[in-house]
Amino acid sequence: MPSHDPAGVPATCAGCGLVCDDITVVVGERGGLEQLIRTCPLGDAWFAERVAPAPAVARLDGREAELDRALDEAAAILARARAPLVYGLGQTTCEAQRSAVALAEAIGGVIDPAGPLLDGASGLAYQTLGASTATLGEIRDRAEVVVVWRADPVATHPRLFERLELPAAGRELVVVDERRTATAARADAFLELPAERDVEALWTLRALVREVPIEPAVEPPLGELAARLRACRNGAILHRVRGHVEALALHALVRDLCRVTHVVAVMLRREANAAGAEDVLAWQTGYPAAVSFARGHPRASPGELSAATVLERGEADAALVVGSDPLEDLPPAAAARLRAIPIVSLDPRDTATAAAARVAFTTAAPGVHRAGVVHRLDGVPVPLRAPLATSRPGDDEVLAAIAGRLARPREALA
Amino acid sequence: MLRIVSGSVYDPANGVAGEVRDVCLSEGKVVEDVPAHAARIDARGMVVMPGGVDIHAHIAGPKVNAARRLAPEEHRGDAVDRSAVMRSGTGGTVPSTFVTGYRYALLGYTTVVEAATPPLAARHVLAELRDTPIIDAAFLLLMGNNLALFDLIRRDPARLRDAIAWWLEATGGYGVKLVNPGGVELWKRANGNVTSLDDEVAGVTPRRVIEAIAGAVHELGLPHPVHVHCNNLGVAGNWRTTLDTLDTLEGRRAHLAHIQFHAYGGRPGGRPRSRAPAIAEYLGAHPELSADVGQVMFGPATTMTADAPVSALLRDVTGGKWVNADTEVETGCGIVPFTYREKNYVHALQWGIGLELFLLSRDPWRLVLSTDHPNGGSFLSYPRLIRLLMDREFRNEQLRRANKRAIRRTVLLDDLEREYTLEEIAIVTRAGPARLLGLRDKGHLGPGADADVTIYDERADREEMFATPRHVIKGGRPVVRDGELVEAHAGELLRVTAAYDDAVEEVLRAQFEERYTVQFDSYPVREPWLLEPARRIPAGRPA
Repeated sequence: MPSHDPAGVPATCAGCGLVCDDITVVVGERGGLEQLIRTCPLGDAWFAERVAPAPAVARLDGREAELDRALDEAAAILARARAPLVYGLGQTTCEAQRSAVALAEAIGGVIDPAGPLLDGASGLAYQTLGASTATLGEIRDRAEVVVVWRADPVATHPRLFERLELPAAGRELVVVDERRTATAARADAFLELPAERDVEALWTLRALVREVPIEPAVEPPLGELAARLRACRNGAILHRVRGHVEALALHALVRDLCRVTHVVAVMLRREANAAGAEDVLAWQTGYPAAVSFARGHPRASPGELSAATVLERGEADAALVVGSDPLEDLPPAAAARLRAIPIVSLDPRDTATAAAARVAFTTAAPGVHRAGVVHRLDGVPVPLRAPLATSRPGDDEVLAAIAGRLARPREALA
Repeated sequence: MLRIVSGSVYDPANGVAGEVRDVCLSEGKVVEDVPAHAARIDARGMVVMPGGVDIHAHIAGPKVNAARRLAPEEHRGDAVDRSAVMRSGTGGTVPSTFVTGYRYALLGYTTVVEAATPPLAARHVLAELRDTPIIDAAFLLLMGNNLALFDLIRRDPARLRDAIAWWLEATGGYGVKLVNPGGVELWKRANGNVTSLDDEVAGVTPRRVIEAIAGAVHELGLPHPVHVHCNNLGVAGNWRTTLDTLDTLEGRRAHLAHIQFHAYGGRPGGRPRSRAPAIAEYLGAHPELSADVGQVMFGPATTMTADAPVSALLRDVTGGKWVNADTEVETGCGIVPFTYREKNYVHALQWGIGLELFLLSRDPWRLVLSTDHPNGGSFLSYPRLIRLLMDREFRNEQLRRANKRAIRRTVLLDDLEREYTLEEIAIVTRAGPARLLGLRDKGHLGPGADADVTIYDERADREEMFATPRHVIKGGRPVVRDGELVEAHAGELLRVTAAYDDAVEEVLRAQFEERYTVQFDSYPVREPWLLEPARRIPAGRPA
C-alpha cells in the first residue's frame, strides 16, 4: 500500500512514450501527491490531471450511477451492437489491453488502437519492407548522427535529449521540419522542409545514399544530410511522419542506409503504451491494428477497418473507448458518427468523450493508482508503479466485469 | 484419475519399447496404479508416448512478434475461428500465441523451450507465454553479447556466476544461451562481425566469452548446460569454428543449437559442402556434448535470430522484407521471411546435411529433433521430418527431387539404410530433450513423471500418424480427444532457481546506471500475473 514517506517513493511517468522510470513521488500525510522529482513539465501535467478531482466512478448519461448498473448497461450496449468498435488502449496497461482484445473478440467487434491516428501510420511500410530499429540505449551510446524528422520532442517528449545525452561533442543533431521548432533551436543543423515535400526529400536522399546521379542538382542541405549519414558509422532517425507513403519512403531510406552503415529509426510515439497496444493485438491476432472479429476470427485491413473508417462509413453502432479521447482526435466526420452512437468510456480523466458517453467509468490511473506493464516507444517493457491509492477500479477490472456480464457469446446472438 | 489401457508404450527413459501395458495417471502425475473406477482410454492398437518436448523453438517475445507483424499475407490464409474452447487467431509460420499453444498440443507436444530471450524483454516474453495455452514453457536468456557481462569477464570473473544467477532470477529464465558471441556486438557498432574465436570485441574474445560463461553455468549446476549458437552460422567452412568452439569447452557440458547450420565445409565466400560426418563423429566421441539438428524443410519459413549479421546476409539473398532490432547492452535481432526450395543448391545441401546428421548419429539421446522453428521450417513440419527418418523409401524419393549437385556433396547417396525406430523417435522428440534440459518430470512415463501423454493411432504413414495424435493428455487432463482440442488450460512457466551472493547486486547496479535506459529497480520481473503459475527447477543437482 502506498504510504507517506518524506523521501518519496519510486514511480514511473506514463505521460509520453518515453516512460521515464526514475521519478520520485512524495506522498503527503493524507495520501495525496505532494511533490514530483525529476518529472518534466509534461509529466507534471500528466500526474496533475490524474490526481485532480474526478467525476463519479460510474455515470449514465453524465449522471452518477451505481457501478453495477453501469456495468450491466455497458454489457447490454456491447452485446446488442451489431458492429461494436473498441478504441484507444495506448494509455492503459498491457494487462488491460489483453482484456480489451478478449472483449472485442467476444462481441465480434473491430478493435483499433489510437496510435496510428495520433502518431502516424507506419504499419503498411513495416509490412512491405520491414524496419531497422533499436532501443534508446543503443542510440544514446552509439549514434553519431541523430536526425529528428518532422517531430518536436522538446515539446512532446521533453526528456528525450537528456536521456539520449544530446547534445554531445562528436555527435550531431539534425532537425528536419517545416518551421524552426524548439527542437530545431537545439540542432547542429536545421533543414527547413514543407510537410508536403517529405516524399520528394526522402526519395532524393535515397538516390544520394545509393549514389545514383540525379538531375537537377540537389539543394545543398539535403546533399549535406546524405553525406553526414553516409559518413557516420552509426546513425538514428527519430520521426513522426504522418502518412503511409511518407512512412514507406522513410523505411526505404533506412534500408538503403543500412547497406552503407548502421542506421536505425524509431517513431516517437506519444502515448506511453501505444507500442504495447500494437504488440498485444499482434501476439493475440497476428495483426497490430484495425482488426475485425466480426467473422469469428481476426481479419485486418488498415484502410478498411481503422476506427476512423468504420465510423465514417456509419458501420460502428456502439463504441468502447479505453483511455482515449477520440471526440477530440478523430477527423470531424468520424467524430460526428461517434457522437451519434452509444459510447462506453473508461478513463481516469473527465474527457470530452467521457462526457458524451452513455456509460462512463472513471478508472484508476495506470502509473498513479495502478501498477502494470507498458511498452515504451522503443518496445522495452517497463513496469508502472502505484504511488497513490484509490477506491476506483482499474481498466482491466472494469473490462473483466463487462466481459463477465455478456450473457451469451456472440455465436448465440447471431 | 485415468487409465490408458493396453497401448504399445514407448518410454525409452524407463527402457520400455513397444510393450503393451497400461499407463495410469492421477493428480497430474504418472502413478503405478489407479482404482478400477478410474476413467479409461482404450489404447489398443495405439502407440503411447510421453508428451513431446521441443528443446529449441522461437515462440514468444519481441522478435517473434515483430515477425508476426511482418506477415499479414500468411495470416490471411490461415485464420482460426473462436470456439467454445479456443480463442481465435492466425497461423502461418509464426502463429499467434493462442494458436501456437493449440497447435503444439494438437501435435502431441506439451513442453516447449523459447530459445532466445533478450533479458530486457523478459516481461514481453512472459506475457506472450501467458497467452500461449496448454504447453509448459521455459526460456533461455541471451548472454553472449552482454556488455555488462563482458566487463565482468574482464575485471571481475569471479562474480560472473552470481551475475548469471541474478539474471535468471530477475527474469524467470531457465538457462543460458550464447548467440554468435561477440559478433552481434560488432554488428550493432558498425555492421561488423567476428570471423574467428580470437577476434577482439570490447576487451574480450568469443573464445573467452564461451569459456567464461560455459564455466559459470557449469559451476552453477544449471539443469541445462550452456546452449550455444556458434559463430559463423551459415558460412561455408564454418565446421572449423564449430569444432574450435567445442574444443574450447574442454570437456564441459554444452548443448549446440541447430548444428546443421554449423556443419559446412568449403571456403568462406565459396560454395558450402557437407561436413556432417566430421561433426557427427565428434559428437559421438564426446558424451558431454549434445545438439539439436535444426533441420531445414522445403517450403516457407521465417528466419528470426539474435544473430543479426546473418539476417543482413539473408536480406541480400531474398531482397525482401527485413527487420533489424538492436537491444541495448544485451543483443541484436534480425528477421527475414524465407522459402527453402528443393532445387536450390544451398537449400538442398542444408536439408541433406540435417538428414546426414540424424542418420549418422550414434546416440539419439544427444542429437535431438528440431527445425529451429520457424527458422528451418514450422514445428508443423515435424511429422514429415519423422517420416523422412523412419521411411527410407520415402526419403529416397525426396532425395531424387532435390538439387542433385547438392545431394552429391552428402553421403546420402551411399544409400544410408538407417530407419529410425519408434523408440528412437520417442528419444529424439521427448525423452532426449527432457534429459538434456534436466527436466526430470518430463519426457518419460515412470511413476512421478508429469502426466503428459500422447497417444497415436499406429499407422504405416508415419507423417499422418505423428501429425494427428488421437489423444493428448497434459498434466493429467485430456486436452485432445479423438483429434479434437477439448480443453485449453494455462501451462506452467518452468524456471530455474540458482543461488547467488546478494553482493552482486551492487556491482550490477553500477553497470545498469552506466549502460541501461531503465532503472536497476525496474528490471527484475515482479508481476505475479507474469510469473505464476510456475515450477521451480533447482540448480546444483548432479547431472
